[in-house]
Formats: sequence, C-alpha cells, structure tokens
Amino acid sequence: MAASPIADLSYRNYDGPLDPPVNRWWAIAKMSMKLSTKKRGFWVWASMSAYWYLILLAIFYFMDQSAQATTALGQQNPLFKAIEWKGQFINAFSVSQLFMFILALMLGAGTIANDNRANALLVYLSKPCSKLDYVIGKWLGIFIPMTLVVGAPTLVFYFYCLLSYRSYGFVSQDPWLIVRLCGMVLIPGFFHASASLGISSLFQQGRLAGATYAGFYFFGLFFTKAMQVIVSVDNMNAINGNGPGAPTIVKNLYYCSVDGIQEALAKIFLNTDGSPLLPIQGPGGLQRVGIVSQPSGWVFIPAFFAICGLFMLLAWSRIRAVEVVG
Amino acid sequence: MISATNVSRWYGQVIGLNDITCEIGPGITALLGMNGAGKTTLIRLITGQLRPTTGDLRVFGEEPFANTNVYRRLGYCPEIDNFYEHYSGRDFVRFLARLDGLSSTEAKTRTEQVLEMVGMADRAGKRIAGYSKGMRQRIKLAQAMLHNPDIIVLDEPLNGLDPVGRREFIDILGALAEQGKAILVSSHILFEVEQMTRSLLLLHRGRLLATGDLGVIRSLIDKHPHQIRIETVEPRKAAALLASLPNIVSMKFDRLGESIQLEVREPDSFYDALQTAVLEQGLEVRGISSPDNNLESVFKYLVEA
Amino acid sequence: MIIASVNNLVVRYGRFTALNGLSCEIPEGCTGLLGPNGAGKTTLLKTILGFVKPTSGTATIMGMDIIEAGTAIRQKVGLMPEQDCHIPGMTAVQFVAYAGELAGMPASQALRRSHEVLDYCGLGEARYRNVETYSTGMKQRIKLAQALVHGPKLLLLDEPTNGLDPAGREDMLELVRSVSHGKGLNVLVSSHLLPDIERVCDRVIVVMKGQLRAQGTIKDLKKIEGRPIDVELREVCPAFVAGMQATGANVMLPKRTTYRIQMAGLPEEAAKVAMQVAKDTGAQIRGFVQAERSLEDAFMDAISTSGPPPVAAADGGNS
Repeated sequence: MAASPIADLSYRNYDGPLDPPVNRWWAIAKMSMKLSTKKRGFWVWASMSAYWYLILLAIFYFMDQSAQATTALGQQNPLFKAIEWKGQFINAFSVSQLFMFILALMLGAGTIANDNRANALLVYLSKPCSKLDYVIGKWLGIFIPMTLVVGAPTLVFYFYCLLSYRSYGFVSQDPWLIVRLCGMVLIPGFFHASASLGISSLFQQGRLAGATYAGFYFFGLFFTKAMQVIVSVDNMNAINGNGPGAPTIVKNLYYCSVDGIQEALAKIFLNTDGSPLLPIQGPGGLQRVGIVSQPSGWVFIPAFFAICGLFMLLAWSRIRAVEVVG
Repeated sequence: MISATNVSRWYGQVIGLNDITCEIGPGITALLGMNGAGKTTLIRLITGQLRPTTGDLRVFGEEPFANTNVYRRLGYCPEIDNFYEHYSGRDFVRFLARLDGLSSTEAKTRTEQVLEMVGMADRAGKRIAGYSKGMRQRIKLAQAMLHNPDIIVLDEPLNGLDPVGRREFIDILGALAEQGKAILVSSHILFEVEQMTRSLLLLHRGRLLATGDLGVIRSLIDKHPHQIRIETVEPRKAAALLASLPNIVSMKFDRLGESIQLEVREPDSFYDALQTAVLEQGLEVRGISSPDNNLESVFKYLVEA
Repeated sequence: MIIASVNNLVVRYGRFTALNGLSCEIPEGCTGLLGPNGAGKTTLLKTILGFVKPTSGTATIMGMDIIEAGTAIRQKVGLMPEQDCHIPGMTAVQFVAYAGELAGMPASQALRRSHEVLDYCGLGEARYRNVETYSTGMKQRIKLAQALVHGPKLLLLDEPTNGLDPAGREDMLELVRSVSHGKGLNVLVSSHLLPDIERVCDRVIVVMKGQLRAQGTIKDLKKIEGRPIDVELREVCPAFVAGMQATGANVMLPKRTTYRIQMAGLPEEAAKVAMQVAKDTGAQIRGFVQAERSLEDAFMDAISTSGPPPVAAADGGNS
C-alpha cells in the first residue's frame, strides 16, 4: 500500500502494549494520592502534625545548654539521665493524632463517597479492574501518604537523637528502637485507611462520611479522657496509700477509642508505658500519675486488626456498580 | 391566555430572555431551543417563580408572580425530579391535592381520577424511591392536573419514557388540549414534538426566533429552498427535463445514480411541471419526497441562520 | 460473525426476575437494543459486563464465557453509561487517561491515546478544564471517550443522546455512526429514542419482560405486507380517492393529506397511474414513497402481541 501524503486521522484501534493486571491498583493509588496532595490543606496539616518534635528539639537543646553550666566535669547531665526516649516518641505520636485524624478526613472521607455520588464506580468496574484492585488502590492511596507524614518527622528526629544524644542512653535504652519505630509509624495509616474506606462506602456524600467519622472520633476521645481522669485519681490515691491503683478494666477502656487503640499499639510495639509530656519531669512519683501503662498485647493487637478488618469488609460489601432503575 | 410583551430577564450580566413578545393560546404549543436558549427562564416567568426585569408578562390578564389567582388555574410539571421519596405515589398526589385546597374526600376521589388518567392507578401504592423515570414523570403530570388547571406547563416531560409510555403521555396531552386547555411543552426530542403539535415557539440565545405553525414557518425560510428528492433510474434525464424551470436553485446527483436531489423555490409550480414530465415527457419516477420538511430540519435552518 | 451469544440467561434480583430465559445472538455491526422500561435491557448490559451473576444460562462475548473470562471480556468491551460518571477533580485528559490506565495501558500510552480519542470525539481546548465545568454535550463526549480509550471491540451505549439538544444529538449520532461503520467496532445501543436507533443501527433486538421478542434488520421490520405506497397531496381531495379506487387500487387514509394506496405493478407504473388520476381530478402530488412502518410502530407491534415471542423474518444469519 503506497503511503499517502495525507495522514488518516480518523479513529483507529489500540493495539499497543498492555500492562498486567497487577498494575491496576497502583494506578488507582497513584491517582488518589495525586488528587489528595493537590489540596493545599494537606500540606498545612501534614507539616503541623510534627510540631511536637520541634518542641522536643527545642527543649532538649535548652536542657543541654543549661545543664552544661551547672554540671560538674565528667558528670552526666542529670536532666537527660532521667529521660525515657521511647516515651518521647509516644508523646509525639499522641500529639500528632488529632492532625492525623484531620488528614484522614481530608484524604479518606470522600474517597468512596464521592465515587458513589458521581457514579464513578461504573467506570472502574466496567474496565478489567476488579473490586479488589479498587479497594487496595484506594486503601494505599490513604495509607501511603499518611505513613509518610508520620514516618518522615519520626525518622528525622530519630537520626538527630542518634547523632546527638547517644551518650545519654539513646541507643543503649533499646537498640531495637529503629525497628520498633518502623512498626509504629505504620499504625495511623493502617487504621485510618481502613476506617475511612469503611465509613466512606456507607455514604453518597463525602461530608456526611467525614461528619460520621468525626462524631465517632470525638465521642471516643471524651470517653478516654474521662477514663484518664479516673486513672489519675486512682493512681494519686495509690501514691497516697489510699487504695490500689487504677483497675485494669479502666486502663483498657482508656484505649478504646480511635486514638486510644493506636496509642495502645504504639506502646505495645515500643514496649513502654509512656513518659510525662514534658521530659524535664523525671520518672516516678506525681508526674506519672496521668500515665496509663501499656495494655496487653494479646488483647489489643488482634482487636486492632479485627476492627480494621471489619471496616474493610464493610467497604467491600458496599461497593457495587450503581443500580440503574430501568 | 398567556401574553408576553417585550419581556426581558437577566441574571447579573447573563441574559436569560431578550425582548420576547408572543401569545400562547389553547392547544399544544412546543417550546423549543438549544440548551441555554432561555426556555427554562420563560417557564419560570410564566409559572410565577420570577419577575421579568423589563416588559410585561400576563397570564389570564394578570401578573403571575406570587399570584394565587393565576396559580389556581396553572399546572406545572417541572424537569427536576425531587419528591418525598418515602411517600407512595398515591399519598404524594393526595398530599398535594390537599395543599390545593381540596377537602379530604374530594382529594381522595380526585387523586384516583388523576392517577387513572396517567395510567398509574395500579402502581401508585409503592414508594416513590423505587420508581422508574417513566413512573416519576407520570406522577409529576398527575400532580399538575389535580386542580383541573387551564394552563399546563411541562418541562421535558418525555424524558426517560419508553415508546409505549411516550405514546400514552402524548395521548393524554392531546385529550387535555381538546378540552380547551393551553399546554406548553418544552422538549428536545423533536420527532416527538412533531407528533404532538405543529405550533411552535422557538427561542435562541434568549431571543424569540420563530413562532407559529410549522408549515408556515418552513415556507418562509427563504435562505433554504425546499429540498425535493426524486428517485429515478434516469437521473440525468430528469435533470435535463427539469433544468429549464426557473425556480430550481440547484441539482445534485447522488453517488449511486438512483436519485436526484433538487433545491426549489416556490415548489407549487415545480410539482406541476413534474407531473407534466412524468405523464407527457416519459420520465420514469419511483419516488418523490421532501427530506427537509420536518421539524428537525426547520430547527436546524432557523438556528444556524 | 456472531459477537455475542446468549443462551437461556436467567438473572434474578432477589425475588424479581429480570431476565427470564433470554436467548439471542448479536451479530457484527451496529445493533439496537429496544424494549419497554423494565424489560431487562440494562440487566443484559450489566450481565455482559459482569456486574451481576446470572442464576442460570450461559453467554459468550466474542467467544469468551461471561462467568469465567469476565476480566478478559471487559478488556475488549467499552461501556458508555446513561448517567454521568466522571470522577470529580480531574480534567478530561486526566480522566480519560486514567480510564485507560485502569484498562491496563501503560501511563504514557494512556495519555497519548487519551488525546487521540478526545480529538476524535471533538473535544478541543476544553479538555484541559475541570470536568465539572462541562456542559451536557461535553460530558457525553467524555463518556464516549473513556469507553473508547482502550480500543474495545464491542461498545455498549446506554442512551447516548440523553439530555442533548438537537445539534448535540446529531453530532453524537454522527460520531457513533462513523465509529461503527467502517472502523470494525461493534456497537450495541440501548435507547428509547427509536429514530436515533434507526439512524445509527442496522439491526435491532427487542426485549420484553426478560425475553427476546423480536430481532432482525431494521429494513425487514419496517416492511409492510403488500408494499403499499404513501401518496401525499397538496390538499385533501376525495375525487382523487375515487379516481384511484376506480383503477382498482385500495386506498386508506392514514394522516391528513397522505393516502396509503395499494397498487399493483412496479413503482414507476404506479407513479404514472397516480399522476394521471391526480391530473384528472385536479390534485397535486407532492410525495410518493414506499410506505414503511415507522420503527416505533414496528416496535409497538412486537411488544403488544401476546403468546410465544415471534422472531422476525429471514435475515439470512449474516449481516
């Protein structure tokens, strides 16, 4: 066939290369991440979530400076000696939880709900893209950004402390800290991704899904704060010799909320009870009154996965191509 | 019954209607136009939801805006599809009947009558949430007819109906028109509109482009002479025989050599000449037709002008 | 060649039976899917795509079984749904490229192909704007584009001209017609607007109450027994009627000035006879065409007959 000087620009078929099915979920995850990171609010809340690390850095710096003046030569800085490093990570983790929740709302509340409203599922499911691809893709689209937002400041702080405070027992307190931290940073992403997907799939509007999740979250928050007060009072009484410490059931209830269960798993992974918020206060005594000891791993780890699993099952059952009345 | 005199309506800088003057009387009138031409604005003005920015719009001689006298005699079947989804169709219509001011017993009987007229009597017990588009359209028409209005305005009423439903709907509208009511139907589905009525109101970019009978409008479109298609196995002979007529503007031979398409002004004399050609000059003709004598072509000609 | 073959398909939603033993064959080319509301058209489309699992019966699309090879089928099938289905927050290019990636195209190919398909669908510079700002016509084009981007062999269109004004409708029908004729793409159009189907498709399948009612080429369905002729006069003329009857023709009056006349002989001779009668009686013939049932009438007839579903006249099995 002789080549014509005028090209034929009418419709032609696509016979090019096709990627294997394993890439479908990655395409979905990529698109979710692209859409969410485009929002300006994402970057604002993401950077604010690490503010506690900055405060810690400032506190440590001043502790270092002030101790230098008063410590005798050859002696260790008494303030630093009392610090439990793992507890600092737990505190920073707890402080970032509210911000993580806001990010979860931003990233996750609308995912499936908006697709429901826009009938986008018809597009997804009419392509050779299975429901599993869709769910995995959406899940990763929330999990990956959140884990990065939690993980980056944590690891940066870890390496800073590694370099600066090794002499104060940073590594010797627990040489496996880095591994534990890697486990800890996965927790918020895992939980929020599952919960957001589950709740988002129930609604047609992102706003309603977000509001439901927020209600859920804040209700649990008040509940756990109440539990914390009870624990504090009981511990106070125990210190004054007025009775046993807080009963285990109250301690376990403290961990029964969105934030609580993440904190529970963080404490379990790091194997610590936590420290007072301001590291200047040493361990023991009045300062530890408000601290709830770590819960039983046998109970909480399965519970965590069970809850996440339930949310995912919920999402799975609710995803279907929109019913057309015809 | 409806008369507009120099009516204009704009929203900020955007013009909805620009200097419309027209009259709508009894019978079915089709309101046509592209998307954004101003049909919805005109309907809102007539049903009293908006006031014209300038000009004078009168329904039954009064201004329709917030005017219960007019509302009493006006029925509106909107395009939007919002109902109280948890009601059944029957309850919904009866509720609206009560809102119309009918007593409880009157409402019940009237509801049944109206549901019977739209063909929903057997299915109106189910909740509206489960209705198909066609059933919703019928409920909308039912509620528009409740108080036996003299004017019924319908915005895209045939949307989503299957051909059977469309036929029935058109029959209902025809019956209502014969009772002397004025029915204004806005629709994009031109072939359906053609079956309903020949009386048009065509809007374009907010202005009134044409109003009146389809045939009359067609004959007045000078820029587009009538297209006449003659099917014959001897197109060249036909061309030779007819070319001498002064009112033929152009001739086109189709690729297969089976017909010839002519553009003709003043077709009347042309048809007589054609008759002569067949009977006296031996032209063999298989078919004669006018491809652009329908609403769709008229619409296209008017809008692209 | 048969594109889709459906055998006794039964699909139930709970207690409601949507498809009740549907058996049909969809050949190559452009086929219209007709039926009253609730007949099972959408269910058939959803079953082809694998959204619903049939209770019993089998179906093969391009040789692949719908239950076993669902993913492979969806690779070769494109759906243009009735409702709006764009993903909010994206531009048209992103959306169509995304649809391509979902179908397995590598990202670079998807973007390139997305532009190509949007060119074909007539979307110009507007493709870089957010999809939410589009008019109805543009949204319909994007829906068509996302169905075409992965190069399917079978295109399923559900009410393609929904919400379009007359100009938009014509553009869309032209698009569909050009992609189905001469490009090797098989199309199945489900619509209530029969003139649209007439314009685009060559054959139709009529479904009612979950079963096949009729199938065949449009030409066959529109034929009328005896091949009468519609003669249109300038005005109503009883003398003409009398004159025609005198020649032995059978005259019926369908509409205003158009008479349906049954005449013997070839159309040319009939034309001569009619012209002669018209001349003698002072009438003017303005139209002379082979009478056809409108597709709508054919459809109404097909669904109103009770009893076992009639299958329309010989279509030879090949398109």
